[in-house]
Amino acid sequence: MAYNLKEEAKKPERLSGGHRMCAGCGAPVVVRTILRALKPEDHAVIGAATGCLEVSTFLYPYTAWQDSFIHNAFENVGASISGAEAAYAAMKRRGKLEGETKFIAFGGDGGTYDIGLQSLSGAMERGHDMLYVCYDNGAYMNTGIQRSSATPKYADTTTSPAGKKIPGKQQWRKDLTEIMVEHHLPYVAQTAAIGNMKDLHEKSEKALYTKGPTFMNVLAPCPRGWQYNTPDLMDINKLAVETCFWPLYEVIDGKYVVNYKPKNKLPVKEFLKPQNRFKHIFKPGNEYMLEEIQEETDKRWEHLLKLAGE
Amino acid sequence: MGEKLLMKGNEVIAEAAIRAGCRHYFGYPITPQTEVAHYMAKRMPKIGGVFLQAESEVAAINMVYGAACTGVRVMTSSSSPGISLKQEGISYIAGAELPAVIVNIMRAGPGLGGILPAQGDYFQAVKGGGHGDFKMLVLAPCSVQELYELTVEAFNLADKYRIGTMILGDGTLGQMMEAVEFKDEENIVHYEKNWATNGTNMERDHNIITSIDTNPEILESWNLRLQDKYKQITENEVRVEEYNCDGADLIVAAYGSVARIVKNVIKMAQKEGIKVGLIRPITLWPFPVNSFEKYAEVTKAFLTVEMSAGQMVEDVRLAVNGKAPVSFYGRTGGIIPTQQEILDKIKSILNR
Repeated sequence: MAYNLKEEAKKPERLSGGHRMCAGCGAPVVVRTILRALKPEDHAVIGAATGCLEVSTFLYPYTAWQDSFIHNAFENVGASISGAEAAYAAMKRRGKLEGETKFIAFGGDGGTYDIGLQSLSGAMERGHDMLYVCYDNGAYMNTGIQRSSATPKYADTTTSPAGKKIPGKQQWRKDLTEIMVEHHLPYVAQTAAIGNMKDLHEKSEKALYTKGPTFMNVLAPCPRGWQYNTPDLMDINKLAVETCFWPLYEVIDGKYVVNYKPKNKLPVKEFLKPQNRFKHIFKPGNEYMLEEIQEETDKRWEHLLKLAGE
Repeated sequence: MGEKLLMKGNEVIAEAAIRAGCRHYFGYPITPQTEVAHYMAKRMPKIGGVFLQAESEVAAINMVYGAACTGVRVMTSSSSPGISLKQEGISYIAGAELPAVIVNIMRAGPGLGGILPAQGDYFQAVKGGGHGDFKMLVLAPCSVQELYELTVEAFNLADKYRIGTMILGDGTLGQMMEAVEFKDEENIVHYEKNWATNGTNMERDHNIITSIDTNPEILESWNLRLQDKYKQITENEVRVEEYNCDGADLIVAAYGSVARIVKNVIKMAQKEGIKVGLIRPITLWPFPVNSFEKYAEVTKAFLTVEMSAGQMVEDVRLAVNGKAPVSFYGRTGGIIPTQQEILDKIKSILNR
């Protein structure tokens, strides 16, 4: 059946309202869309690394999750879900369980790119039947906007403050999606909550129902950290894709597919301009910063096209 | 007279470190201490220092190890769960005898716990939470002013004894704003660091910094040397505040922010004709055993008050050594004990 957002939206929410994520935050939109890709009859065991998503959706004894939920520390959601999945697989082998349970780990970029990378890598290499989702908002938002290895170069954060001595974050962002591709997983995707959510939905479906370890990197803008106007969430997502700052692509058994190629690729400044964390790069004398970001964005985009054989 | 400012505890720790000559800070975000990192991120680039945010607490403490090997003044800071992650590195720092300052702004535990203040890390600070027979020098400030003074002093002590020195505060101290008076000049004691691996310049033999030896006799001799050093510290570095103890019916033992609550309790008790004293350990290790011994046979009872389920009380009992009854009152989970609760407890002990 063809994807229809109106039909999908009729499904009962598996991340219910009343959680405490901010207005204009990308993460709950991402999570709800992913969970809608679960077959209604399937149960899920969901883990979350410490982060905004975890603290705001699971204020014990309250929970916004309709499925089973597990959190322990910051650096180990990959391991925690590995353990749950391994136990499930053993019980399943012995015929002790009926029905289908899917295993999903959510981590922010701090909990995935940085402190949780070892745990994620281990889970993927061992081949647990699970989906790991990184909701990437490009900084440690939960503790007050500290830089992470996913923070874009020149972004102003509390631990890479833009000023006279340093120009904001001084390093390029880590390419986590490519790191996960190099784990030779059956399915890796990069996506964003964009348009009618078709891309995110279809990738979630594939990732959830491909046997073995799968990974999705999903852009999840943060109004506090990125400093955009909260109603502009979906526009920001769109600009990230239309400028090729955040390309939509998937890698199926090693084969790259670029899912969207903008007809008129917008200059990256269109994406940066609405975000006050990049305010300083538009000041006279800082033109080089924008030029560098454009150059790097183009380079990474061209490289991706080459990998996809285009 | 120096500059007097209204500042947040966490920021004062960072400022004090810089004033003490620390130009190397390695951190990782965790509430309620992240302002230390924010302050360092802003200041260090301006003074040619290093602010580096690691990818985890494990990485940060091992960066401290690396920097300390070169003989520079170095600091990291975290809060309880983050300190748990650092424990392996802290043990290595102890084994290699490296001077380093480690700040722990405690929050409620165990596990994820919460981000409200607590004192549940007394054991992991004082008993050497990591593996092996080691100690850290542990300083427990009770005000923003003391956060400043003891942080400066921590660097001197770390260098003097080549030891990991911990500032043990809690979320209240880290987050509160208070007046702090800075000195015009800091007492920075310079110690010869001829052990540092900072380049031979072809003029001396190589230095080796390590904590491994596969020969058990040699390894034991290292351990004995460490124990000698700890003995020396125990003899020379105890710091304690004794307040209103002479002639007290009951003496409360409390450290950090709890000790300040107790001081108010003492005033309340006075109005009701009860004389209460306070022993406030400023060094948690070495523990001020003598102060307790001194009053053990003259006061009627001791009461230990902590924001924990009862940790320092074990050391109070060891120090009092059965000469007087030692009671305990504690709150956990991020709850700060009230003056009235403590006073009620005192009255129940004294049957008043």
